[in-house]
Amino acid sequence: MAYRSFALVLLLLLSLPVLAHHGSNISYQLDKTITLEGVATEWDYRNPHPQIYFDVKDSKGAVEHWATELLPTPLMLRNMNVGWSRTTIKPGDRIVLVCNPARVVGAKACLAKELTLNGKSWPLGAGPGGPAPAGRGARQ
Amino acid sequence: MLTLILAALLAAQAPPQKFDPHDLSGHWNRTSRFQTFSNVFSGQGNAQGTAEAPLTAAGKAKFEANRPGYGPRAVPPAIGNDPMGTCDPLGIPRLLNTEVITPHQTMEIVQIPGRMLQFFEWHHDWREVFIDRQLPAADTVEPTWNGTSVGKLEGDVFVVDSIGFDDRTWLDKFGHPHSENMKLQERYRRVDADTLELTMTLTDPEIYSRPWVSDTKLFRLDRAKSSRWDEQIYCVPTEEYKFNQRVRDEAGGRGNTK
Repeated sequence: MAYRSFALVLLLLLSLPVLAHHGSNISYQLDKTITLEGVATEWDYRNPHPQIYFDVKDSKGAVEHWATELLPTPLMLRNMNVGWSRTTIKPGDRIVLVCNPARVVGAKACLAKELTLNGKSWPLGAGPGGPAPAGRGARQ
Repeated sequence: MLTLILAALLAAQAPPQKFDPHDLSGHWNRTSRFQTFSNVFSGQGNAQGTAEAPLTAAGKAKFEANRPGYGPRAVPPAIGNDPMGTCDPLGIPRLLNTEVITPHQTMEIVQIPGRMLQFFEWHHDWREVFIDRQLPAADTVEPTWNGTSVGKLEGDVFVVDSIGFDDRTWLDKFGHPHSENMKLQERYRRVDADTLELTMTLTDPEIYSRPWVSDTKLFRLDRAKSSRWDEQIYCVPTEEYKFNQRVRDEAGGRGNTK
């Protein structure tokens, strides 16, 4: 019986949807992705969702200012224990971003799905954080 | 994953832990599915409810004026009016829904002489419940975000009755409304050492044609959380404003990223 309960809990956990805390999902086309290459101008590792601001040059060389939001909160990113911090992204860093475009045509904002920063892939997670980070998160 | 499986196997063989059913203190993480007041239809795959809010005509009008970012009536937050989007207090009962996913869907209960305190991680808010006091007369109570609450034990059930709610709050992220005359009863029962059960009933004849009962919300005791620093998930107006202006509104067709 206990094993069956555990299996049910596990199934439930695995089926958790990726939910934006502020209902942002509805603003984006979740069934589509675009790939953007550009240069970071600002990294805001804050609530409600971390944000990357970056510049992308179009085919004629004109600069477009873009913004993307990451679904996990800063705490969730930190819990991944892969190095996310306030200094992960610096102005001038080269980024390649796969993201869900906005529903509004022409909007320069998207929902981040995959991020490559200076050639290195950074996991964005599915939303839920892992265990609390040892050391930093633990009460001394 | 292996750790989880081992923990489950060990838990399956361990004898039941002793507990005091009158002691509700501790960090409690919601494990039940619904992030809303009741098990209404959500439009979300793993939390499909079938209940319908028994709205009156006035309640329906108020419900339709609320434009949430979640559920079957979701609109882009840029054109919505969820109080959360401007960091307004979520209020009771919405705080009790612990309406987010792990690790933020948690509350702490602290019992001290004369009062029970509840601390909510999401929006970093708290409320107090006075124990064994009488509720004041409704017409003497100024509406507040969390209402005015008193609690008492009925057997092993801790019953909280509240009045005096500010009607700018929503019951939940789907935009269910209430009036200033809403009365709310919360019933807490510690089912076992690790499980807390909460059921709420609201009575608000202006908005709902009959008392509306929530789903049974289940919370699991998180003993490890008291050894970690609190997360301080405030809703900070300056942060929210910047996010709204530069991301939310741009995605919703109302702004720009410059």
